[in-house]
Amino acid sequence: MIVYLIKRLLSVAVTFFIVSLVIFLMMHAVPGGPFTEKDMPLSEAVKAQLNARLGLDQPLWVQYTNYMVGVLQGNWGVPYQSPGETVISLLQQAWIPSLILGGSGVIIGAALGILIGMAAALRRNSWIDYLASTLSVLGLTIPVFVISMLLILIFAVWLNWLPASGWGKPERWILPIAAYAAIPLATYARYTRSAMLDTLNRPFVTALRAKGLSERRIIFQHVLRNSAIPMVTVFLPMFMGTATGSIFVEAMFRIPGLGSYFVSSIENRDYPLEMALVLMFTIGICFAYLISDIAYAWLNPRIRLGDDAK
Amino acid sequence: MTLVNIKGLKVSFRQHGGQIDAVRGVDIQLAEGESLGIVGESGSGKSVSCLALMRLLPNSATITADRLELDGVDVLKAKPRQMAALRGKVAALIFQDPATTFDPVFTIGHQMVETIRTHRDVSKETALGEAEQLLLKVEIKNAKDVLSYYPHQLSGGMLQRAMIAMALSCRPKVLIADEPTTALDVTIQAQILQLIKDLQAEMGMALIMITHDLGVVAETVDRVVVMYGGRVMEEGTVDQIFDTPKHSYTQSLLASLRAGESRRAEPGTGEPIAPALELRNLSKVYALRRRGRIFSTYVDFPAVRGVNLVLPRNKIVGLVGESGSGKSTTGMMAMRLLEPTAGQILVDGTDISKLDTGALKVFRRRMQVVFQDSYSALDPMMTLAQIIAEPLNIHGVKTPREQTEEALSWLERVGMDRSFGNRYPHELSGGQRQRVAIARALILGPSVLVADEPTSALDVTVKAQIIGLLKNLQKQMGLSMLFISHDLSVVRSLTDSVVVMYKGRVVEQAPTANIFANPRHPYTRSLLDAIPVTNPRDRRERSFITAEDITAGTPRLTRSSLAAEAAAGDIPQLVSVAPGHLVEAIVTN
Repeated sequence: MIVYLIKRLLSVAVTFFIVSLVIFLMMHAVPGGPFTEKDMPLSEAVKAQLNARLGLDQPLWVQYTNYMVGVLQGNWGVPYQSPGETVISLLQQAWIPSLILGGSGVIIGAALGILIGMAAALRRNSWIDYLASTLSVLGLTIPVFVISMLLILIFAVWLNWLPASGWGKPERWILPIAAYAAIPLATYARYTRSAMLDTLNRPFVTALRAKGLSERRIIFQHVLRNSAIPMVTVFLPMFMGTATGSIFVEAMFRIPGLGSYFVSSIENRDYPLEMALVLMFTIGICFAYLISDIAYAWLNPRIRLGDDAK
Repeated sequence: MTLVNIKGLKVSFRQHGGQIDAVRGVDIQLAEGESLGIVGESGSGKSVSCLALMRLLPNSATITADRLELDGVDVLKAKPRQMAALRGKVAALIFQDPATTFDPVFTIGHQMVETIRTHRDVSKETALGEAEQLLLKVEIKNAKDVLSYYPHQLSGGMLQRAMIAMALSCRPKVLIADEPTTALDVTIQAQILQLIKDLQAEMGMALIMITHDLGVVAETVDRVVVMYGGRVMEEGTVDQIFDTPKHSYTQSLLASLRAGESRRAEPGTGEPIAPALELRNLSKVYALRRRGRIFSTYVDFPAVRGVNLVLPRNKIVGLVGESGSGKSTTGMMAMRLLEPTAGQILVDGTDISKLDTGALKVFRRRMQVVFQDSYSALDPMMTLAQIIAEPLNIHGVKTPREQTEEALSWLERVGMDRSFGNRYPHELSGGQRQRVAIARALILGPSVLVADEPTSALDVTVKAQIIGLLKNLQKQMGLSMLFISHDLSVVRSLTDSVVVMYKGRVVEQAPTANIFANPRHPYTRSLLDAIPVTNPRDRRERSFITAEDITAGTPRLTRSSLAAEAAAGDIPQLVSVAPGHLVEAIVTN
């Protein structure tokens, strides 16, 4: 197990470097630079001076090496758009709203989705099954910004129950959390339903009934555990996936979170911020998959013990 | 006292576009301690009737009956809790494929303890102790270890034993065995049947043996119910059914069971032409991965060790052995569908073992293969006409229009209607799919056909039809066929000679009649001994031999008794004991 972990951590490190290199090169390969505005062009001399101060006049491999050495020491650089602070301090303020809203949105959405999916599988072709199918189709087909607009329109404009946007008071969180929850809820309802149905159709379930086990024990002890195996592989990676959803949700609800920086850092050619965001996202995804794989092995004895144990 | 009382049972399933009547009025009675066989092919309603008795059918089933009683309880009126109490305690079920009937994520011990504690109020420790005793009872020697194993760590035979142990854990009054040996090797099947018989006698249970195999019935039960199309065709004692079958369906079942026995040895005609296919010293070594702490190491596992085999023109050679004996690997290597580690493959005298893909394509036209699982062997997205015509297309034979025409005429040749050309594989039955696979294999007019267990997934009557079809086509086309099978009764009725493989080696080969009349190698004898009897009067106690017995029982022959010259030595070698009869033996002076 420990050997497996070390192997996997090494592969995370390799992935990290490959991604960093590719992103760094792509970022610099795009024409233009941080100081090439069309509207108010800077003079060549000023531009050269700025580039020199930020080290942008050096060869690319020197820039890359300097950057990566810094990162490994915990120094992620200074964002061009607010030179007064570091990338870390800027992101520290920004990631709290994103984590609170995105995190609780995904967890609530996933929990509800699993419950709805279970109910749909156990009561196949009943109203709850049709509701689940409808919900998951809607959740998967309607883009998140449309869902956000609908939520604002219904609950803030027509019903006037909740504030439309902003950050601070908890009642302002409800609508964005609902918007965040929509996609996980739809996806999870669908996954759970099909995983449960697959398991319920397997011969061992009939065998369990034939042993005289109660239906409740069959569902909660055996069917859930078996259905969880295919599901753990999608749970955490999807958690990270909502980070991209944050771009829209946070824009719609005017939340000062990470989402806006994804766009602005690229638009403004803010190299340090852009790199930091992409690399943190990379690490997040890598660990999400690592943890999923460990959970998968833990749940599935065939993987945990190897196939050749006969 | 009547344990099972079924009168006028009808079961139908609601489906898209109507309903299917699976059981149409069945009466079955079973007294305590009695053993009953229910025989029929799949779709005859035999399993459905028993599942209805346990009320284990899905919600889409509608069950009606004048009487449906288990141990005096009206199954149709019983509450779910009442039903759960009956299941496992009064009637226990064992299923066809033990690999899919255990929950894969819990240990054997956990699942046995769960069963015991569902019906009886005992502590976990007591239950675990009982489980160990039960495993010992079903002849699992390392019972303590097996308790902590997960299902995937046990072989099929061991799992079925554990399943039986679990079924017996609450001392049921009746054991319902639904095709309990169909998924197992023939030698394991004989052991499991013996075990069920012994336990039934010892515990005084009643037994319902559901099977499509009359041989299994002849081995195990006293009374037989023959079912077809959801109805009981015939009922009687096992002797009545076998001696004086009244119904024509029973007669046809018996005929296909006994098809192999009527063949007698034919006079050998020694014609020395180059064989259609010859394997010389063919070997396959797999590198098995052993997980170590840091690095994985690889261990050589020889799946096939130096096999020599000759397939004469216009002949059918049977390649038999249990799973893991290397017979399928040999067949796949002969087709170059699997790369041999060493050795030669001669097709019409040309060695094809080293040819590259381009050169091989020419030979591919002459050698074709039919697989066991016809479902996965046919592309589900293609129509039957496309599937059958594909070999012509690949080899660029004829225009597309002619290809389709030929495919359709092949459909007729394999006994199907031309109108099936536009259908898809999923619309067909197993037998029909196998017919399509045969048509696809033969459309190029090959000289060699390798058939890898082509009938083992089929019902007994369908099996007989497919065997008949292969036999006819072989004669018409002058095919040379390598027929890989573990089913010795089929081999007996079809092949000219038999090659027996054991642990990757050929241990005996001889003309079919000789093998069955005079088997020389202990493994061949154990294979033959494991064939279910075709008459209940021939039932006998069987003794089972282990791998050690086989090694110890390797024949020792003096040089003078051999039909051909061989050097003496301690290592077993393949020697000739009669014209055309080779046996692995130790030769002494």
